[in-house]
Amino acid sequence: MKKILPLLLAFVTFSVLAQNDLPKVDMTTLDGAPINSNDLSTDDNVIVISLWATWCVPCIKELDAISEIYPDWQAETNVKLYAVSIDDSRGVNRVKPLVNGKGWDYTILLDTNNDFKRALGAATVPLTLLVKNNQIVHRHSGYSPGAELELYEKIKQFSAAN
Amino acid sequence: MKNLILGACLCMGTLAFSQDNGYFFGGLESNSQWLMPDEKIGFDTPEDRFRANNYLQLNYSLGKFTAGVQYESYLPAALLGYSPTWDGENGIGTYYLNFKNESLDITGGYFYEQFGSGLILRTWEDRQLGINNALKGLRVKFTPTENLGLTGVYGQIRNGFDVSEGVMQGLDANANLSGLLDIEIVELKLGASYVGRYQSNGANDSIPANINSFGGRLDFVANNFYGGIEAITKDPDVIVNEGEVESAQHFDGTALQVNLGYAQKGLGINSTFRRLENFSFYADRYAEGNLYNEQIVNYVPALTKQHDYLLSNIYVYNAQPRLLFSDTEQRAGEVGAQVDVYYSFDRESTLGKVGTKLAGNFSYWAGLESTFNFEEQTYDPKFIGKGPRYFRDLNIEVKNRWSSKWSTIATFQDVIIDKGVTEGGPLGIQGDIRAQIAVIEGTRKFEGGKALRMELQHLWVDKSRKNVDRKNWMAGVLEYNFNSAFTLYAADAWNYEGEGEIHYYSFGGSYTKGPARFAVNYGRQRGGLICVGGVCRFVPENTGVTANLVVTF
Repeated sequence: MKKILPLLLAFVTFSVLAQNDLPKVDMTTLDGAPINSNDLSTDDNVIVISLWATWCVPCIKELDAISEIYPDWQAETNVKLYAVSIDDSRGVNRVKPLVNGKGWDYTILLDTNNDFKRALGAATVPLTLLVKNNQIVHRHSGYSPGAELELYEKIKQFSAAN
Repeated sequence: MKNLILGACLCMGTLAFSQDNGYFFGGLESNSQWLMPDEKIGFDTPEDRFRANNYLQLNYSLGKFTAGVQYESYLPAALLGYSPTWDGENGIGTYYLNFKNESLDITGGYFYEQFGSGLILRTWEDRQLGINNALKGLRVKFTPTENLGLTGVYGQIRNGFDVSEGVMQGLDANANLSGLLDIEIVELKLGASYVGRYQSNGANDSIPANINSFGGRLDFVANNFYGGIEAITKDPDVIVNEGEVESAQHFDGTALQVNLGYAQKGLGINSTFRRLENFSFYADRYAEGNLYNEQIVNYVPALTKQHDYLLSNIYVYNAQPRLLFSDTEQRAGEVGAQVDVYYSFDRESTLGKVGTKLAGNFSYWAGLESTFNFEEQTYDPKFIGKGPRYFRDLNIEVKNRWSSKWSTIATFQDVIIDKGVTEGGPLGIQGDIRAQIAVIEGTRKFEGGKALRMELQHLWVDKSRKNVDRKNWMAGVLEYNFNSAFTLYAADAWNYEGEGEIHYYSFGGSYTKGPARFAVNYGRQRGGLICVGGVCRFVPENTGVTANLVVTF
């Protein structure tokens, strides 16, 4: 217990200090080209970063649901969705055929060594972030049917706040 | 080392107040359980009825430097089914200091690394499985140009709050040939890896102190096709079972993996072949094959579909890379393949109008056919051969979106599993179990983010076979989302033909608010393998309340 107390104190202090900067982590694109998480959101545009995996049923439900209305979202707000697969080598080869088979129009990124997932402290997927100018402005974990509509309300809210 | 990094951490913390460009990030995860005696399943609670695993991770990033610590506690004991190594322990589990600029990335302390597909080296953390085999030491990554990368690692593998006796060293090189040679029609990537382990053999010359492994791989993307090949060899080493050297002979190991895929809009196909011969790698030679995957150096997942339903998770495969040479069991490894197909019907077609999407998977895994010679202590394996079948799975999933309110998923699975794989004991000689599983899932959306989700499942065991295990099951799940933040569920898996006709029921809910998620449930846990990412751990049957809290910042 003696050991836990100072750590708890530190935790409280840090959470007060914590800013919502998007951690700077290298990932790769589907073609294997390196890309940094901080190169995704620029020019005051809101982007969605969704952490998912081929084995995660709610993740796929969420991305399927958004896929139905994604063209409308883009037309209205210019929002872009980055679907970051946290699949390790067991599933990473399934990412490309799955994304194509589903006909998703998202930009797919790979976080095979889970560096980005760890930096975000994401214990579970799906984890959905709204990011603007490398600041995390909204964060939601888990997926329930219909949550994509709520997400869109947030996108509109932050897109308008220029 | 530890104090140095903690010191650096504090130092940077102080700097944070004077300069405003650094930031903190991290998270807290708390998983706890309260176990209850349950006569129906014969579960007597252990001495510690309350158990909890807690993780607090703090990182600070300032300019080119990042530092972090992770505090872990397993008090008063680790969750049921975790390695006893953790019981009653707490302290700083990992810490690191990292410097990164355009071409150099240097980490001291604990780090997670993967060479290639991880078949030769992978260190990772999986809290659900109780795996954390982070390397403690030094890692240097050098990227002189965007087409070349070099990684060197040196250190010991984490084992509980200690580290392995064996010392690991590794080197990994990656080259983008298309970039280097200006090839445009095909994207070509070449990789080479070396991983070595030094572990003192005392004065025993019959045990090698150094074990080296080498691997190479080539990946390509050409239009809609893509694929890769990876091959690894490992020096001859003693074979160890349950902590004892099994043979006076030394045996080398090999791994070969070939992947081929095709993807276009609306269609995706992926296939993988893998052959493993005596290919397990641990940071301590005596840890080979331990139940909890402790001190494991590489990543050998089961290459099968990871199912997500109650009844399709009863018969799951676990990779079998080991060589065993004993009176009761001889085997040399595994060979097999899997194929995945994903297809979406065109939106204008009849089936496309109701959003039909298909996903199918087939996998087949068998033991390596080999002849064993006891007198000379040698064996002779075939490349593929006709070894005993360990696992076969054929499954198909049909998704439909009938309207903006209704959607369904129907799945059917036909699975055959070797009894030894699912229940333990020698493989390939106890016969197998065949089961068919059907699942129907429906989701109804309501106004205001409310939704109802239902699952109906049935499992039929083939009763014409010698092994019928626990015979038939049925299951149901009911879940209601009050909004995107609050969910309640009830589930039951009923083994209605098995002994005692046991219900594995559970009830619970979760609440999400911004970066925090809290979930609680009460119920009976079916004993068996819990698998995450194709790596499994055994969980004993139990009954109780569990609570999970995750906060990220």
